Amino acid sequence: MIEVKGLHKEFDGKQVLSDINIKFSPGECSLIIGASGSGKTVLLKNLVGLYEPDQGDILYDGKIFTKMPLKEKKLFRREMGMLFQESALFDFATVQENVMFPMDFFTDWSFEQKLERVNFCLKRVNLENVNHLYPNQISGGMQKRVGIARAIAMNPKYLFCDEPNSGLDPTTSIVIDRLIQEITKEYQITTVINTHDMNSVMEIGDHIGFIHKGKLVWEGNNKEIMDSDCQPLNDFVFANNLARQLKKNK
Amino acid sequence: MNNLFQITGEYWQLMSRVFRKPEKWSIFRKQFWTESQKLILASLLLLFIVSASIGAVITIQTANNLESPFIPKYYVGVMARETLVLEFCSTMVALILAGKMGSSISSEIGSMRITEQIDAMEIMGVNSANYLILPKICAATIFSPLLMLTSFFIGLLGGGLLVAITGIITLAQYIEGLQFAFREWYIFYSMIKMAVFCFIITSIAAYFGYYAKGGSLGVGRSSTRAIVVTSTLILIFDLILTKLLL
Ligand SMILES: Nc1ncnc2c1ncn2[C@@H]1O[C@H](COP(=O)(O)OP(=O)(O)OP(=O)(O)O)[C@@H](O)[C@H]1O
Ligand SMILES: [Mg+2]
Repeated sequence: MIEVKGLHKEFDGKQVLSDINIKFSPGECSLIIGASGSGKTVLLKNLVGLYEPDQGDILYDGKIFTKMPLKEKKLFRREMGMLFQESALFDFATVQENVMFPMDFFTDWSFEQKLERVNFCLKRVNLENVNHLYPNQISGGMQKRVGIARAIAMNPKYLFCDEPNSGLDPTTSIVIDRLIQEITKEYQITTVINTHDMNSVMEIGDHIGFIHKGKLVWEGNNKEIMDSDCQPLNDFVFANNLARQLKKNK
Repeated sequence: MNNLFQITGEYWQLMSRVFRKPEKWSIFRKQFWTESQKLILASLLLLFIVSASIGAVITIQTANNLESPFIPKYYVGVMARETLVLEFCSTMVALILAGKMGSSISSEIGSMRITEQIDAMEIMGVNSANYLILPKICAATIFSPLLMLTSFFIGLLGGGLLVAITGIITLAQYIEGLQFAFREWYIFYSMIKMAVFCFIITSIAAYFGYYAKGGSLGVGRSSTRAIVVTSTLILIFDLILTKLLL
């Protein structure tokens, strides 16, 4: 369980997030949606401690993460997995070495054991026979999937994904969404996903928070989202014709 | 001025994260050897060319300027040796390496910073400063005295080659000069200087890379700043160390 309490964040006097209060529960895919530039990435980076909030706290299972000393934070982070918006794969390492990286540091497994885990994770994201390629030799969508494989390599308790399926084709998108949902339920992971993809929202949105201009203006799930009377949310959800048509037919 | 305080503060803060016990020695060892190979291979060719030609140039200049019959010919060898060991092989070579090693380290780490690779390590709970920077600093500092020695020998060889080819003085006179009033301490002094300089180059360049921001332009900017700052510090420390050690 992750709790965000009264989070404020500004950059050079420009308010990016104001008074965010939200809870993320284990075994549930929590989606943060919002327009480009609304502050989703900034929120995620505050959650994992890459940015320091200006005000407010972030609690992991009741422990105040924001005030933890660095050493404790470091231990805590071994239970986190994160997929970055631009994948952030290590370009000095092959796909296999990327996924193996956290295992090298934090396990005493033999190479064979590590390799088995790597191949298991790569297979789950539909990647095979790319073990020895470097990140610049694979496509953007493949990089994203390697990023996911790396994020789940250590069986994290908390999983953060920044736009896991931007740049993926619809089929792979759904595969990835389902994968994230599956492991979230299977291992009771607390999963937070940033997205502006309405397909994902309808597919896996157990819990959805809508951010508009740095404020959390709506919370609910994928069954409620179609019938909300929150104007900015409706503008966001029904931005395209197909969605408007669906709503009309309903 | 404020900026200077901020940089100094951040630098020490970073160094306090760099100088920690590595998570696993096996990983550190592997990184250390990779970095050492990179460092030596990358600087060897440059070192050979520059040292040999400077050795030759010093020899030719000294020989041409020694007109007084009262100064023995072997003095050319003495001059070449002293110039090389006292200043060239440590300070000048370090200034050259500051450009080459410094820019490659700061742009390597800087590009990892802006593509969020460093953040990705931090999220895993890896001390990125320790993992990325410590092996570089150790490799450079430990192997730099060797680089200095190599540069010294190549420089002397360059001078010798010139003497042999042009016959300005005889080779025997040159070699006599090399041995005349030779002080071993100068070699150690030069090796110590080189180790300090290489520590400065790697740690400062790593600092500028680690705190790079503003896209690829920012990476370029930070590696330029790294070179300016390291070159200045090398000259300042040259003065300090000479005062202390000689
Ligand atoms: N490091 C930073 N320094 C200054 N401003 C920043 C920084 N990071 C983000 N911002 C600002 O915060 C705002 C929100 O950015 P953020 O990256 O969170 O958007 P986003 O919702 O993730 O958008 P997208 O869907 O396009 O990824 C933007 O206006 C951006 O300019
Ligand atoms: Mg974003």
